[in-house]
Amino acid sequence: MRIFYHIGQYFLLLARVFKKPEKNSIYWRQLILEIEKLGINSVGIVAIISVFMGGIITLQLTYNMVSPLMPSYIIGLGNRDTLILEFSSTILSLMLAGKIGSNIASEIGSMRVTEQIDSMEIMGVNSASYLILPKIIAVVFISPLLFIISVTCGIFGGLFTGPLSGVVTVATYLNGITTTFNPFYVYFSIIKTLVFGFLIATVPAYLGYYVQGGALEVGRASTKSVVNTSILILFFDLVLTQLLFK
Amino acid sequence: MIEIKNISKSFEGRDVLIDISTVFEKGKTNLIIGQSGSGKTVLLKSIVGLIEVDSGEVLFDGRDNRHMNFKEQKLLRQEIGMVFQNGALFDSLTVEENVRFPMDMFTNMSLKEKTTRLNFCLERVNIKDSNRLYPAEISGGMRKRVAIARAIALNPKYLFCDEPNSGLDPVTSILIDTLIKEITAEFDITTVINTHDMNSVMEIGDKILFISEGKKCWEGNSTQIFNTRNRKLNAFVFASPFSKKFKELRLMEDDE
Repeated sequence: MRIFYHIGQYFLLLARVFKKPEKNSIYWRQLILEIEKLGINSVGIVAIISVFMGGIITLQLTYNMVSPLMPSYIIGLGNRDTLILEFSSTILSLMLAGKIGSNIASEIGSMRVTEQIDSMEIMGVNSASYLILPKIIAVVFISPLLFIISVTCGIFGGLFTGPLSGVVTVATYLNGITTTFNPFYVYFSIIKTLVFGFLIATVPAYLGYYVQGGALEVGRASTKSVVNTSILILFFDLVLTQLLFK
Repeated sequence: MIEIKNISKSFEGRDVLIDISTVFEKGKTNLIIGQSGSGKTVLLKSIVGLIEVDSGEVLFDGRDNRHMNFKEQKLLRQEIGMVFQNGALFDSLTVEENVRFPMDMFTNMSLKEKTTRLNFCLERVNIKDSNRLYPAEISGGMRKRVAIARAIALNPKYLFCDEPNSGLDPVTSILIDTLIKEITAEFDITTVINTHDMNSVMEIGDKILFISEGKKCWEGNSTQIFNTRNRKLNAFVFASPFSKKFKELRLMEDDE
């Protein structure tokens, strides 16, 4: 029954978050800061992981799928579709749930236990909106961009690794990534990243906002936020795949 | 003036505040004293509206915040300044940004006006050359003073302080007490302070409310506290040998 309490509280918090901001200029400034903190600062790690994953997928496809009966351009094609459909949307979101989610939960949780949130409330500031809304907009806005960066880096990762290890030529690889391209896959994944971005921002924010106790509880909320967000991302991945591919 | 009428609050069946009524007058420093766990902080948070009471009323110059709509409540909160136990300064903002925060949020003042007000507030609490520092880079006493500067930034009608002296050395404690007392008189505001610091009780207690086990046990001022026969209050205020000696001397002086 406790889960229904949390679902109710979560939606009540969201109702407070989406109330009209006190002052647009302040929220705008916060939004820019959050985009930098949560989004721009994630570009590096996203790029590094994607380059390696692109390379690894290329090698795995070569060693496990290519046979005399299969055309070798399947390596580029497989790498592209794996990146677009699952890696750069779902797996990357799981990783961001760890990096961004724990950051949000611990930041808001620390503010709660040190009475900074109470202090905002006393002033008459809608603390939920001030603290959480810019984070939601920032993460939802930046997620599709990180997805595009990830796909691009992953494809380049394959392009470097394949020819360097001698498993595929540049021309064959490029032929693969341009063959039977379905733009719907990109739209589908962008929709997924928007949903996942919303979860990555709101679930940790909820857990941080209602934390009670001290540093230990903040740490617990941070861990819990990563676990819960990851489960929800996988659940919504399943639901969206079923809904959008049906 | 803040009027409290019969407020009660319980948590999971445990009574924390039981039928407390009192009046905190304007231009005076009103102290709430009591042992740890007596319900002081819950009372203070109930008055400011951070905790919803089970029954009773809190009237701010006749206005009951429980009967206000969201907008009216927000306006009332802008008339309230609060200094939390550890300052509760925003970690990500500098001293200057912390004090300017309420002005940025709720006023349409120009940058020049805001800077003038900011400098006035910081000078009032004797903070110099620390505008660009973050809360983590300043001392506990300075954090409290910055919190006071932030609390008075919007010219509040009501000032609440939750244990403003906790964790401070005696000299800094006296400075903070004096500052709060001066600000209360200067801006003619209603100040309510939650404390168990006996120096504060003696020095700045225009009105003292003693609560024990969630009930109002005694109220009076810093002079009356020496003559009270309330056993619980005597046991609390004059618990240390030093304060006992102080009381004896004070009573001897009165007799003479």
